[in-house]
Amino acid sequence: MQYADAFGSYHPIVNFLYFCLIFAVSMLLQHPVFLLISLFSAIWYYITLKGRKAAGLLLRGILPLLLITVIINPAFSHAGQTRLCYLPTGNPLTLESILYGCAAGIMLSAILLWFACFSEVITSDKFVYLFGRIIPAMSLVLSMTLRFVPRFKAQFDHVREVQAAFGRDTSNGPLLKRIRNAVACFSIVVTWSMENALETADSMKSRGYGTARRTAYSIYRFEERDKTALCFLIFCGLFLLCGGISGNLYWRFFPNIRGTLTQPITVMLEFVYLILCIMPVYIDRREAAFWKKSLQLNS
Amino acid sequence: MKRILCLLLAALFCIGAFCSCDINQKPVTLEDSIPIPEDGIISASIFEKIKSENKVVTFYATSGDVRYEWTVFGSDIEHPADKNLAVEIFGETDSAVSFRLLSEEALGFSPVLSLYLTDVWNAQSATVYQKSNAGLSPVCSASVTGSKTSVLNFSVTETGSFTVLADDGEETTAAVETAPESTADVPVQSDPYLSEGTQSSGRILSDGKQSGQDQYKTDPVPAGKPLPVEPEDQNIDEKQTYTCTFSIECSSILNNLSDLVPEKLDVLPKNGVIFSAETVTFYEGESVFDVLQRICQENNIHMEASWTPIYNSAYVEGIHNLYEFDCGSGSGWMYRVNGWYPNYGCSRYQLSQGDTVEWRYTCDLGADIGGAYAINPE
Repeated sequence: MQYADAFGSYHPIVNFLYFCLIFAVSMLLQHPVFLLISLFSAIWYYITLKGRKAAGLLLRGILPLLLITVIINPAFSHAGQTRLCYLPTGNPLTLESILYGCAAGIMLSAILLWFACFSEVITSDKFVYLFGRIIPAMSLVLSMTLRFVPRFKAQFDHVREVQAAFGRDTSNGPLLKRIRNAVACFSIVVTWSMENALETADSMKSRGYGTARRTAYSIYRFEERDKTALCFLIFCGLFLLCGGISGNLYWRFFPNIRGTLTQPITVMLEFVYLILCIMPVYIDRREAAFWKKSLQLNS
Repeated sequence: MKRILCLLLAALFCIGAFCSCDINQKPVTLEDSIPIPEDGIISASIFEKIKSENKVVTFYATSGDVRYEWTVFGSDIEHPADKNLAVEIFGETDSAVSFRLLSEEALGFSPVLSLYLTDVWNAQSATVYQKSNAGLSPVCSASVTGSKTSVLNFSVTETGSFTVLADDGEETTAAVETAPESTADVPVQSDPYLSEGTQSSGRILSDGKQSGQDQYKTDPVPAGKPLPVEPEDQNIDEKQTYTCTFSIECSSILNNLSDLVPEKLDVLPKNGVIFSAETVTFYEGESVFDVLQRICQENNIHMEASWTPIYNSAYVEGIHNLYEFDCGSGSGWMYRVNGWYPNYGCSRYQLSQGDTVEWRYTCDLGADIGGAYAINPE
C-alpha cells in the first residue's frame, strides 16, 4: 500500500485524532506563539509531503491570503488603545487591530495548510474505514464525491486532447471559437459523467448493494507504535486542555494586548505543542534515517 | 529549510520582545459584589487582595430604603488599610438627599459612590455639597442615571456630611438664551409660525406641527427643539468661533458592571468620566459630531464612528474603546444637548453658542439616562 509518508502509515485513528487535535488548537487559540508554531510546522510538514510542488500553494495561495488579511483587518476594525495615526475616514489606525490582522492571517494560513496535509494523509479509503460503520451512507457518498472531482478533471483533459486532435482546439484560435469548443468539451464530459453514474448505480445494484450490511476490506492493524502515538496524543490533548482551562493560554488583542507569555507553565505548554506539531516530520525523518542505516549495514 | 527555520524563529523573538513590554501586566477582572458589614469596616486584607489581583469590586449595603454601592478599582488603592465604608442616608426628597460618611478619616482614594434612590429625580444632573459650619460648599457634580428610580454617581475624597441637590434645569436654558456677540452678522431665517424663529447660528426651531418621518427616517421634532440640518449643506467657517460645554461620561456602566464585557474593565474610567465638562471652542456650521471628533483627536481619546447613509449622519460606535453592545444588548452612546436627547443623528445637530453637549453611555436603550424617548417616541 502506498502511504503519503511514514506518519501516514500509522493507524487511521491515530492520524485522524492527530489532525483533530491540531485543528482544535489552531482554531481555538489566539496566542501568537501557538499560531506561529502551528504555521511553521504546517509549512514544514506540507513541504515534507509534497516536496517541490509545495512552493506553488505556499507562494500563490497562502502568501497573498496572509497579506490580504493583514491589510484588510485594520481598514475595518478600529478598536484598540494604541493609536498610530488617523485614517482618512477619521477613524484611528491602531496597533492592536494590525496585530490582530496578523494573527488572523496566520491562523487562516496555518489551518488551510493543515487541511492540505490532512487530505494527503487521510486518503478516502482511510476515511471510509473510519466512518464506514458510524455513518455508512455518508462516508460512501463522501468518498464517491471526493473521487469524482479528480476523475472529472482527468476525463475533461482526455476529451479536450481528443477534440484538439480533430481541430476543435481550446488553447489556440479566436477567443469566441475557443469558448465554443470548451463548452462542447464540457457538455461531452457532463454527459459522460451522467452515463457513468448510471453505470455505477447498475454495478452497485448487481453486486447487491443495500441487501445486507456492508463490510469493508481493510488491512489496518493497531500496532505497538500506534499505541505509543495514541498515548502521546492523549497526553498532549489533556495537557493543553488543562493549560487552557487554568488560563495559562490566555491572550486577547482588544482593547489592549494582554496575555500569558513568559510564565513557566505557558512556556512548557508551548514546548509540548511544538513537539506535537513536528511529530509527523520527526517520524518521517526517523524512518528515513533508519532506512538509510539499514541500507548501509547491508552493503 | 534551515533558513526558513531561522527566519521564523527571528520573527517569533521579535514579536515576543515587542509584546513583552506590557502584556505581563494583569488585566482588570471583576469580583463579585461584597456586602458591607454592620459596622462598615472592610479589612485591609480585602483591599490588599483587590490591589494585588487588580480587581474591580463593588461593596454594597442599605441605609433606610436607599441602597448604596462603592465601586473600588484595585489600581486606585495605594495603601491598603482598614476602612469604614458605612454611609448613613437621610432626608431624601425628589430633588435632594443628604448622607454622612461614618469613616473618621478620608478614604485615601476616591471610589465612586452610587446611591440607588427610591424617588425619580426630574433633573439632568446634580451637585454634591459638603456641610460645614460655614454652610454648604460644592464639592463635585453627580451624574443622574437609572430607569425606574434615580441613581446618583459621584466620588468624594473627603469624609463628613454631604448634601446632593438636583441642578436647576433653568440655568442651562438661560445660558442658551443669552445672546452671544456673534448674532448680528448671521442672516435671519425666520419661520412665520414661530415668534422666536432663530438662534445664534441661524438654526430653525421646530414648531411641532410636522407630521410623518422626514427623508432620513426622523420622527417629528418636538416644538421648540432645533430641526436637523444636513451636514452636506453646511459650510464650516473657521473665522467665526463660538463656545459650548462638552463632556463624555459612562457612569451608567458602573451601575451595570456585571453586564460589561470583562475585557473592557481595563478601559473603564474609575469615576465614569471620560472627558469632564469643559468649555470648548467650535466653528460656525459645525455639528455635534464634528466637535466630538475634534475633541477626541485633540485629547487623544479613542473614538470610532461610521457613516450611515439612511440617517445621513455618523453613528458613534465606540468612545474610549467602550463600544455599543459592550454592556448588554441595549447599550451604546447617546448625546444630549441642553437636556434634550435629539431624535436624529449627531452629524445633523448644528451647534449654537452656549450649548451644553453631553455624550452619555446607556445600558438600556436610553431608559437609564433619561433618553428613552429619542429611540422610541411612545
